[in-house]
Amino acid sequence: MQDAVLTKFLLRHPSVLVFLGMLAVFTIGVTVLSEGFGIGVVSTSLVKTLGKTLCLALAAIAMDLVWGYCGILSLGHFAFFGLGGYMIGMWLMYARTELIVLKANAAAALPLTPQELSDAIGVQIFGVVGGSEFPAIWAFSDSFILQLLLVVLVPGILALVFGWLAFRSRVTGVYLSILTQAMTLALALYLFQNDSGLRGNNGLSGLQNLPGLEETSQADVSLWFFWGSAFALGVCYVIAKLIVESKLGNVIRAIRDDESRVRFLGYNVEGYKLFVFVITAIMAAIAGAIYYPQAGIINPAELAPIASIYLAVWVAIGGRGCLYGAVIGAIFVSLLSSFFTGGQIPNISLGFYTIQWVDWWLVLLGLSFVLATLYAPKGLGGLVDKFKKA
Amino acid sequence: MSSLLNVNGISVSFDGFKAINDLSFEIAENELRAIIGPNGAGKSTFMDIVTGKTRPDMGDVIWGEKNVSLIKKSESDIARLGIGRKFQRPTVFEDQTVEDNLMMALRNDRAPFAVLFYKFSNDDKQKVVELAENIGLSDEIDRIAGELSHGQKQWLEIGMLLAQEPRLLLVDEPAAGMTKQERNKTVELLKKMAQNHAVVVVEHDMEFIRDLDCKVTVLHEGSVLAEGSLEQVIENQDVIDVYLGR
Amino acid sequence: MRFLLTIIMSVMLAVMSLSATTAQEADAFRQVLSDNYKLIQRSSTKTVSPVLEAIQNTNFQGAAEFLDKWQEKELWFRKSDNAFVYVETDDKKTYRLLDVVDGTGLGEVPKKEIKQIKPNSGVRGLLAARLVQFQLTDPDVEVRRKSLESINRDPKLEHLEALRIAIEKETDAGLLAEFARIERILTIKFDEDPAARIEALNSFSGALSIDVRASLNLLLTTKLAVAKTLPEDINIARVIVPDQTGVNPDGSAFRLHGLLDMGGDQTELTRDAAYDMLVKANLAPATIDPAARKEILIANIEDGKIGKLNVSELDSDEARDSAYSDLVLLGKAEAFLTEDEQDQLISEHIFYASYVETNQEVTDVAREVLNDINASVTLNQFFDLALDGISLASIYFLAAIGLAITFGVMRVINMAHGEFIMMGAYSGYVVQQIVPNYTISIIIGIPVAFMVTFAAGVLMERLVIRHLYNRPLETLLATFGISIALQQLAKNIFGTQARPLTAPDWLDGAWVINDVVSISWIRIAIFVLGILFFCMILFVLNKTRLGLETRAVTQNPRMAASMGIDPDKINMLTFGLGCGIAGIAGVAIGLFAKVTSELGNDYIVQSFMTVVVGGVGNIWGTLAGATMIGFLQKIIEYFNPSNTLAAQTYMIIFIIIFIQFRPRGLIALKGRAAEA
Repeated sequence: MQDAVLTKFLLRHPSVLVFLGMLAVFTIGVTVLSEGFGIGVVSTSLVKTLGKTLCLALAAIAMDLVWGYCGILSLGHFAFFGLGGYMIGMWLMYARTELIVLKANAAAALPLTPQELSDAIGVQIFGVVGGSEFPAIWAFSDSFILQLLLVVLVPGILALVFGWLAFRSRVTGVYLSILTQAMTLALALYLFQNDSGLRGNNGLSGLQNLPGLEETSQADVSLWFFWGSAFALGVCYVIAKLIVESKLGNVIRAIRDDESRVRFLGYNVEGYKLFVFVITAIMAAIAGAIYYPQAGIINPAELAPIASIYLAVWVAIGGRGCLYGAVIGAIFVSLLSSFFTGGQIPNISLGFYTIQWVDWWLVLLGLSFVLATLYAPKGLGGLVDKFKKA
Repeated sequence: MSSLLNVNGISVSFDGFKAINDLSFEIAENELRAIIGPNGAGKSTFMDIVTGKTRPDMGDVIWGEKNVSLIKKSESDIARLGIGRKFQRPTVFEDQTVEDNLMMALRNDRAPFAVLFYKFSNDDKQKVVELAENIGLSDEIDRIAGELSHGQKQWLEIGMLLAQEPRLLLVDEPAAGMTKQERNKTVELLKKMAQNHAVVVVEHDMEFIRDLDCKVTVLHEGSVLAEGSLEQVIENQDVIDVYLGR
Repeated sequence: MRFLLTIIMSVMLAVMSLSATTAQEADAFRQVLSDNYKLIQRSSTKTVSPVLEAIQNTNFQGAAEFLDKWQEKELWFRKSDNAFVYVETDDKKTYRLLDVVDGTGLGEVPKKEIKQIKPNSGVRGLLAARLVQFQLTDPDVEVRRKSLESINRDPKLEHLEALRIAIEKETDAGLLAEFARIERILTIKFDEDPAARIEALNSFSGALSIDVRASLNLLLTTKLAVAKTLPEDINIARVIVPDQTGVNPDGSAFRLHGLLDMGGDQTELTRDAAYDMLVKANLAPATIDPAARKEILIANIEDGKIGKLNVSELDSDEARDSAYSDLVLLGKAEAFLTEDEQDQLISEHIFYASYVETNQEVTDVAREVLNDINASVTLNQFFDLALDGISLASIYFLAAIGLAITFGVMRVINMAHGEFIMMGAYSGYVVQQIVPNYTISIIIGIPVAFMVTFAAGVLMERLVIRHLYNRPLETLLATFGISIALQQLAKNIFGTQARPLTAPDWLDGAWVINDVVSISWIRIAIFVLGILFFCMILFVLNKTRLGLETRAVTQNPRMAASMGIDPDKINMLTFGLGCGIAGIAGVAIGLFAKVTSELGNDYIVQSFMTVVVGGVGNIWGTLAGATMIGFLQKIIEYFNPSNTLAAQTYMIIFIIIFIQFRPRGLIALKGRAAEA
């Protein structure tokens, strides 16, 4: 029954099939070319970059859903992304440190008591901020399942509480954007403190090492995560498409275009906004939870308000209100950005001055972003649509 | 005939300016009523209060047989109770098709999850087709609403109102900016609607009101100045004073 | 001309009479030295005092130097005639002799002809005290002040006497008060007469200075002790119950409960520490901590077992306890008291804090006076907090006031506002590179910063903003693009390293009202600047043609256009004005913050908050918003002074909640105007 609905849906929207097909081809292609399972043309670090890029594309889908479709320009979705990373990072760090401590004590005369074990792990993890006690927020960090739940729950509840407060008092438009930005700043500042319980500005590190899999090479692990990223992107793309093509999609687009009219139709606008805000926050958090084990480290700077604005930039360049546009925007800009800042693009010598792209890329990005807003408000996705119509 | 909506001595002021001053108003089931009044008489504010957009400082608004008070309710709750509102400017969702616009307005469960898993059933499809026929947009059903003409948008909005199956319709200046032909069609539409809904029309255009041929309420400075048939109201000395100046 | 001559003449006369007296005193000094040469050469504490008295009575200028050299073992005498000399040497073989009175050279001699004077430590102490007296009565006010300060830094018993003598001779009224104050601090510390000490203590009631508070705290120093019964011969401060928190003003202990019990740091004596005290006082057997117990257990492993238990089973505290008690039964380990037995012992003893100062009357008065002082310190801290709040508010106000125009009045959301602040700060920096005089460079820098940012603002309005009016979300994104481009551009030009924007000297330092309340001059300047801007912008918006036209254009551009106002021009100028003001704010902020390309980042969110909290479209609102946010942040910081990051976090959370209740801000426009 459920399968039938899905099949029908896919047949009705062939673009989804095209997207999934391209994603599958890309995934298989990278696998075949990889060092882990393939012929080794694509380096492990490039696999990681591509996997991370897919996660960013997923976050961009969430952003597109909340902004492009529902009209809420949230400058806080990258904070949810980061929170997801922190939640999974806590388990990764705890579990790996536990293994290290146990290994170090394997030869000791007496087995460790629970207290001694927890103290030893605490010293390893919190030594950098001059602590050894486990803060209360680490209560579940020894359980993979619970911490996975927290990946969804913590950002979800934060989004729920914040969204409820903001939408209830009818804060809209740029005011809401500023408020979300403030929320992000508050969160980042909180995490920057040494006594935040999350290692202050050191953040969580060593996340690329999966506990119990020390023997497995990073080439393999990176591919697993790459597949995970692709799978999550595919699933969330379908979910997002289901949402926007449902009647709920009609209603949220209507809210974007004329909120008060929707109210007079009898829809509880606040409830819908909250629904979309929370759902997308969770999507972003899941993306973050897959991203940061590939990045290996997360620190509060990742959550700074500017990151959330970049997310909006990708969606704007890719095209608002168009799911594949968001994916294109995220992939295009973030890959371009890593090429430019990674030194892959040759510097231009003007004789009297050499344009070093590491220094000038951001200027270029900022200006091209202004141009995109002015001359291509529908983004790259809009250009694709124009091309299709022509 | 029992009253459907009963407005009891409401007042509201903005920064000391009394927009509505001890206004009382009553409308019965299936009644057609026109409200006229000069600019700033409080017509729009009156509608805002009934639909929950503005909260009155004093007074009460009582709805239906169960005598529900509306003044603490949100816009969407009031809409679901059966009060529909049409704005002065046509406000339809221009990015979406006529069908989608009507489908959204259909009287169905409006909770987010119900809406998410909503299936556009054949019954509902049939309803949308009938509505489109009613408002003369059968041929435009798959067009994007933004491409419609001004008059067509007005009708689409009226169609959306009807889809909500309200018991009371508040219609704000439906004839503004319409051609003579479109206006006649609108009058017909409103009269037809009044057969099984209560309808309140706010309008400036005397011609239009004459065509509606119904009871008229004159608002002035936030309260009722006169009430009766158009002929009676026009004879009323107070009304003449207000409109022609003292 | 004649007036000038008179002055010169009188000065000359004064100098002559001065040198005359000096000559007399020098003779007297030489006389004293030759009369007492034996006592000086072989001095002892018993005999030296009259000599010192006599030396001092000569009033000779160089006497202090003489005593100083004597004390430092740098005084020599010639064996041939017992004349005292100072010496200089390059090779420690031949010595140049200098006269102790006038410093004239007395020729070079080999070492054997002279002898060094080495006073013993008792004499050196007397010399030091006498020297202090010399310094305290030195004719130069500065020398007296310096010596007073050094006494205050490190007071000693012998200073008290010197101080009391010197007070009599002090003539400078300002210094006299300081003399009296320090004399009283020393009295409290060293005087043997309790009545005198109490009198001195009482005179300090309500005094704020740090040295007084320090001396009182020192007087009230306590030490912890334990005994079976409370001893009677000591000055008990309070009895302590282990694991109880806090100390009441009357000295009794109290415990904070529930939410008020923030952290355990306030516990004066934890249970474990109390038991340790018992152990140290030999009133209880030592505990065996878990680490030591583990050692003993490991030492007793036999064939993978301890007693009856397998080693692998010992992975909990309970299991280790039972293994250890097995060892105790076998006589292989020493028993230790259980927690209950320890508690029993603790409850059988009395713990107390006693004052180091033995006189109870003195400590009572001291405590009273200290409480009194603390009350007035609290009051002054509150005042200081208010000053801090005002100064932070003016910084926020300065940062936000440009936004109050562009965002508040024009409703254009400019995410690059922070970068205009940065641009202003860098303009100031560049001007300072060209004009080295700090005062002049600031005076030039302010208008330059205004012009640069005004021009940049106008340019931005023409090229970008005007295409995006009434599309606020697009404006937000486009201006954000400009923001990252400008930030990176600044980084490319000026580098990542912070550039100094130095304040002129007259803005250095702080206005010190008392030891608790002070405010730096830069902050006062920023406050003044904030007020100036506020008045100026109120004036521009409400009293000038530009302001009138701006308001007309914002409220109804079409109507304004039909009345002959060029909305394009007005928008351009208004936006430029907002950016220009941000530039000036940048110069002011640059004076106390480091100028980096990320300077704007630190202020952008707070600036928007200020405008939103205050209420959009209203300069008064921005003032109210800045005041609220500034004070709030300082108050939060007051409760948790070590953590400004947390203060900012809590403040933002507060603002988010505040907006719930006043979505339109503190000073809201009402009615239809607000609906737009």
